[in-house]
Amino acid sequence: MKITEKRSGERLTLELFGRLDTETSPELEKRLDAGLDGAKELILDCKYLEYVSSSGLRAILRAAKLMSGAGGKLRIENTNELVAQVLQVTGFYELLCAE
Amino acid sequence: MSETNTSNEIVIKLSERIDSNNAQAEEARIRAALSGVGGKCIVLDADRLDYISSAGLRVLLRLRKEHSELRIINVSSDVYDIFDMTGFTEMMSIEKSIRSISVEGCEKIGEGFNAAVYRMDGDTVVKVYKHGEGLSEIKHEQEVARLALILGVPTAISYDVVKVGSSYGSVFELLDARSFSRILCEEPERMDWCVKEYVDMLHTIHAITVPEGKLPHIKSEAIAQIQRIIPALPDGIGEKLLRMAQEIPDSNRLIHGDYHTQNIVLASGEVLLIDMDTLSVGHPIFELAQMFNSYIGFSEYDHEIVKRFQGFDQKTAAEFWQRSLRAYLETEDERRVSDVENKLRCIAYSDLIDWKTRHTQLAAREDRETVELWKRELTELVSRLDTLDFEIASGKQSDAPGELDIEAAKENLDRVLEFVNAHLERVSCPQKSQLQIDVAVEEVFINIASYAYTTEKGRATVRVEVSDEPITVTITFIDNGVPYDPLAKPDADTSLPLDRREIGGLGIFITKRFMDELAYEYKNGQNILKLKKNIGGGNE
Repeated sequence: MKITEKRSGERLTLELFGRLDTETSPELEKRLDAGLDGAKELILDCKYLEYVSSSGLRAILRAAKLMSGAGGKLRIENTNELVAQVLQVTGFYELLCAE
Repeated sequence: MSETNTSNEIVIKLSERIDSNNAQAEEARIRAALSGVGGKCIVLDADRLDYISSAGLRVLLRLRKEHSELRIINVSSDVYDIFDMTGFTEMMSIEKSIRSISVEGCEKIGEGFNAAVYRMDGDTVVKVYKHGEGLSEIKHEQEVARLALILGVPTAISYDVVKVGSSYGSVFELLDARSFSRILCEEPERMDWCVKEYVDMLHTIHAITVPEGKLPHIKSEAIAQIQRIIPALPDGIGEKLLRMAQEIPDSNRLIHGDYHTQNIVLASGEVLLIDMDTLSVGHPIFELAQMFNSYIGFSEYDHEIVKRFQGFDQKTAAEFWQRSLRAYLETEDERRVSDVENKLRCIAYSDLIDWKTRHTQLAAREDRETVELWKRELTELVSRLDTLDFEIASGKQSDAPGELDIEAAKENLDRVLEFVNAHLERVSCPQKSQLQIDVAVEEVFINIASYAYTTEKGRATVRVEVSDEPITVTITFIDNGVPYDPLAKPDADTSLPLDRREIGGLGIFITKRFMDELAYEYKNGQNILKLKKNIGGGNE
């Protein structure tokens, strides 16, 4: 999977491309492990994300915990129907996607 | 408003528009026309109707309350859409208007006994039924074609019915369609390619199992034919043939029933079947017998016949048949080929003798001589055979099985998904359901790969089954690992704030939500987990 990033003040936006699944979620985890440079707001932009499975969710959950541990916030934007559904049935949507 | 009053029905023409401005007046006029015609069927002719609003629909509802047999005919596509959306098409008989077209000057791209296929323009063809077949036959074929498509046969679905002179036709969208007969005539060097595609398609068809009751058993028809011709055969031969036919094993394999090169087309690079009205189920011997007749049997007495039907000569027909039979049986062993051919010829000749006798009453000398030839062949074959059964080549069944046996390792996830998705694509699974199934399959397979086998590597079996009405996909995962019931775990609490959430357990929770049914059992040392999902209605 490809991840591009944009930094604007305390906001870090990671744009996810393709699939976030068993095979590719380690790449997101690796990016998270590399440190978020004190960002207080982490945005996962899912405009180009086609698919998310439970391992992708685990990476997202880690990101959320990481952010709340640092007194910041994670937000997910631009989800397609499937991604939104996975987030909805697990209760993530309300917590991470609400405006 | 004009009306036509016949002895048992009254036809009333509706206006161009029925909306709140004229609904009352329209209702009054219809009622006036109906007064005193008691007992007749009421037909509303919507030929001129362009628009109907809800006020108009309510008029129809009121009329239907009093006249339950009310029919509406000649409905334009636009108005039909309104009736369809509002559910009226399910409440009353509403018939679309049928366009009249002419096929004069159109290129004929295929022809069989029952119908001829013409190209109307670049991407449209029309199949015109010959023997005055009515709308009910056409509807039957459309239904059967839909069933075939769902079951995985590449076929074209007709989207419109038209009137052609006094016959009816089905309209198909087929870009640059060319029948295999034509390809064989125009580009004889493509014989190899044609044989391969023709046999691949046949293997695909025969690998499909049809749920009981959906299609007729072809064996019953073959037995009826044999029973009719017994008196015409030498003593003992007919009876022996009947016994052997009865002993052919029953099967629910899909059989096309008219599988010759006019009925298979190449359209924008895709190989499609275009004739579906003869679908049935049974042993492949019946299919092969019919194929033999198309290329050999039917023109055995008069070699010119095949040229009239297929366009190519008898030599090409014989070569195509022989090569297709070998490719179908996946053998070059001449003994096996001739054994199968002898058996299928028994069924083939019975069909021909019965057909010719019934269609010509054998009035002409030619017809009598033809039937005599077939009878001699049949008698000779039956007297030296003891069974008509033969082993069926595995064909596609072994390369595209419903089951995948694979090492339970994360790296194999792609292959598992590919395998499952291939099945889903065959049944035109909607994308949303396909993605949900993918999420579930990933979850379950990764669980098995991660936890089922603790010390050494193990294997997993993934089985996909599709059943009809509503279309339901069942995916079964089997492993020999440690007993583990993923369903026993309590559901993740989705109301908890994220920092109190567990990292695990979400996957099986999503799986439960995305599938319609999950079942687990531990049996004979195996974990068996079944996932079921309904992916669509029965007919669409």
